[in-house]
Amino acid sequence: MRQEPFVARHQGEWEAFEAWLDARAARPRRARKLQREWRGLPDEDVPPAYRRLCQQLTLARRRGYSPLVVERLQDLVQRGHDALYRPPPPRWARIGRFLLADFPRLVRAQWGCMLAATLLFALPLAAIYLALQWRPELINSLFDPMEQAKWEAMYDPADASAKLGRESGTDLAMFGFYILNNITIGLRTFASGLVAGIGPVVVLAMNGITIGAVAGHLQAVGHGDPFWRFVAGHSAFELPAIVIAGGAGLRLGLDLIAPGRRRRVDALVESGRRGAQVCLGVAAMLVLAAFIEAFWSSIGWMPATVKFSVAAALWLLVIAWLWRGGRGVVDAP
Amino acid sequence: MLDTVREVTTPEGVALRLPAAGPMPRALAWALDAVIRVVALSACSGVLSLLGHAGMGVYLVLLFLALWGYPVVCEVLFDGQTPGKRALDLRVVAADGAPVGWVASCVRNLLRTVDMLPVGYACGLVASLVDPWGRRLGDLVAGTLVVHAPRASRRLPQVTPELHAPTMALRPAEQAAIIEFAERAPLLTPERQAELADIAEPATGARGTVGVHRLSGVANWLLGRR
Repeated sequence: MRQEPFVARHQGEWEAFEAWLDARAARPRRARKLQREWRGLPDEDVPPAYRRLCQQLTLARRRGYSPLVVERLQDLVQRGHDALYRPPPPRWARIGRFLLADFPRLVRAQWGCMLAATLLFALPLAAIYLALQWRPELINSLFDPMEQAKWEAMYDPADASAKLGRESGTDLAMFGFYILNNITIGLRTFASGLVAGIGPVVVLAMNGITIGAVAGHLQAVGHGDPFWRFVAGHSAFELPAIVIAGGAGLRLGLDLIAPGRRRRVDALVESGRRGAQVCLGVAAMLVLAAFIEAFWSSIGWMPATVKFSVAAALWLLVIAWLWRGGRGVVDAP
Repeated sequence: MLDTVREVTTPEGVALRLPAAGPMPRALAWALDAVIRVVALSACSGVLSLLGHAGMGVYLVLLFLALWGYPVVCEVLFDGQTPGKRALDLRVVAADGAPVGWVASCVRNLLRTVDMLPVGYACGLVASLVDPWGRRLGDLVAGTLVVHAPRASRRLPQVTPELHAPTMALRPAEQAAIIEFAERAPLLTPERQAELADIAEPATGARGTVGVHRLSGVANWLLGRR
């Protein structure tokens, strides 16, 4: 068939399909509302119309029709493809299920990497802490005196009226700061796993060393009480979140180095999908941690017993959540 | 490297043509997005500074959202186009040509961190120069690519009713060239039309304006217009 009769025969179909795309493809929710008023191509006839269009495009290419015709068909097919194969809209109702069940399961499914991340973080932390109890002067080889003085001022037991754990700033300002700073660190820890897994190793070890040094030093110079009262609460969410982000980063690096019997890019894509979901959970944990850190941890007058019982409850909650969360829950369809 | 068009076969058995975008337009789009974010943030900070420390907290949360949330939300809600990408006619699509989803968009924007290493998107630049479809590392892991958004389709033109049989047998490539000439002729100046039509003199047997008309007639004849 020559081009002109071909175009004449199918022009109507193309125009109907294009009208449907213009009117109904872009905003499905609105389209559903206006269902009754729509007089053009019915929705249920769109997939067959799209398949016919695909066949016509193949014919047009095969028969060497002019670029204008082929381009127009290609354009329609692309738009039809976009409409038919678009990802489903996010179901906000799923968020609860994700946080309570899917996220802990996702973490447990990568338990090897999570364990490695925990060790990478906890071992330097414990080692430095114990070393500083044994020989407090070792801190001078790690951090300069200016920095040490800053920590000591932040957790000064003599200054009972002051807010714990900060130099200045109101609760809300610090909340913003924690959100920006901590979540950025968490997300970067995961992403840096793509550098052959080196990133998370460095971040976890460095954080372990720093936190161990601060805790060890403050404990050794007698500023331990305000320090522990400050960190006990929010650390329940913050430390596991950083470790989980690091574990997911290690998984990503491992999939890059040793993809197993998959193509490397396929292994990475799979790892990236899981990692992004882990990151959403980590971000949620860090938002909660920032909230606790800004509005609860900094309260200076609260008796230690209250602080520590709340902290113990939070730690138990987080451990129980990560360990048992989502057990026996049926997989999402 | 030379042909950046990626052909993706859909389940219907048609090859979709995805013209992958190179680093240059993408860098410009990124710069534009950066400008938009900086301007919006400084506008916000002007208002929030009136609130003192509390305003500072809100500002930092907004800064966080601008850094991490803006690209993901824009890409998913606006059909793979952040405002910067829209300005440069770029689009993020999944590797199979479908619109990009939430998870894939999160992955590619999370891994910006790695593409930025060691400085100024150097890793991303190297990756997109090596990859045949100009994908940076984040795109590789997310299974996405950035394409030039298809322009609005050109309408089939109204044609002159003239009809003319060619004076010699034409090979398929010559037929295609003549048809393409007829379709593009309205976009050219009359002088250029005549110049091009003169090349086809053996097929039309005429030069100048008459040649142009005859060549359009030959195209009509080839297309089967009666």
